[in-house]
Amino acid sequence: MIELKVVSPQKVIFQKEVEMAVLPGTEGDFAAMQDHSPFISSLRPGQMAIMSNNKTEESFFVSGGLVMLKGKICEVLVDQIESLKDLNNQNFKNTKTYIDLEENNKEVNNIFEQVVSNPSYK
Amino acid sequence: MPNLKDLKTRISSVKSTRKITSAMKMVAASKLRRAQELAESSRVYSDSLGFILSSLAGGSKENSDLPEILVGRKNTKTSLLIVNSSDRGLCGGFNSNLFRKSIKWIAEKKSKGIEVKILAIGKKAISYFNRIDIEILGTFDDLNNNERQLEVSEQVKNKITELFESNSVDEIFILYNKFVSAIAQEPTYKSLIPLETSDEKNNEEPSNISFEFEPDKNELLEYLIPRNFLTQVYGSILESSAAEHAARMTSMDNATRNAGDMIDRLTMTYNRTRQAVITKELIEIISGAEAV
Repeated sequence: MIELKVVSPQKVIFQKEVEMAVLPGTEGDFAAMQDHSPFISSLRPGQMAIMSNNKTEESFFVSGGLVMLKGKICEVLVDQIESLKDLNNQNFKNTKTYIDLEENNKEVNNIFEQVVSNPSYK
Repeated sequence: MPNLKDLKTRISSVKSTRKITSAMKMVAASKLRRAQELAESSRVYSDSLGFILSSLAGGSKENSDLPEILVGRKNTKTSLLIVNSSDRGLCGGFNSNLFRKSIKWIAEKKSKGIEVKILAIGKKAISYFNRIDIEILGTFDDLNNNERQLEVSEQVKNKITELFESNSVDEIFILYNKFVSAIAQEPTYKSLIPLETSDEKNNEEPSNISFEFEPDKNELLEYLIPRNFLTQVYGSILESSAAEHAARMTSMDNATRNAGDMIDRLTMTYNRTRQAVITKELIEIISGAEAV
């Protein structure tokens, strides 16, 4: 198990023990598991998944950030994050993340739309 | 002898002042709780970011290939001081302590031959530095909600990056009131350029762990440095707003207490005067009766 700690500039979003977390690193996706070597990477906009028993437990959209792996802790510093669970094409346009992204970054916005509209991600 | 009617008006006006100050105290207390939560929860992010940054910078210290924006320029000519004050007054010595400290700092820098320029956050800082002879490079005010605080932090970040890159300033400091406790605030400096090394503050030594970096260090630094400015500025704005509410709460508490004392004193005088008037009238009546 590894302790996943997701932090935004405003607050700690959640902190829990997970078996594995798949993160969208700038140079490719990678999985954070227990006893991973110390590692720091930036994140590209994309999907973050929490896995257990080879199944996706929960998925999130992250708009970018940083991740630091050290020992049993995986710290994810995100700019913005949105759970994909209750998100679909109809209601995601009302979320704060989408509105912010629409104003700030068309490119990130497109990736967000791709992630959300692809059923295989869920 | 004080006029009875005057005393009565005086008492009622002090009473309404007391109502206002005690209401302001309540408002400040509830705002303080919220501001304090925000300040504390944002600390997690900035601490982690600081840790990452110092493990990045720490590892490559020997190479001395760090960008100027991280380590500062060798011969400093101009220094930028970001002063983070409040928008409103009625908070005791909150702003004046801050300004006193900044003046001392400016004088110190001047004695070393460094010119100081100001970036003012908050209406009080703007009006204060407009009064004294110093160059103001930018002003930001109306930080009344969290969205606005984030927005201002973003603008400040852009401004300071631009100022540093155009060689207008060589080092950047931020001065703000640190929230120590509900009754104590402390004007504090934080150095943005050059980067404050965090190993002085916490004993956790980042250099002990050798991290792998992806992408490489320089690219990561490029991504991290502006982000670090943003979090540092945002953090100090939040910290200062918590301190402001705390300062207002204590000073309004004092004001309420003083008003109470004043009312007691005035009521005493009022009663004495009233009694004196009655006695005087009685004497008049009695001596009138005796004369007949």
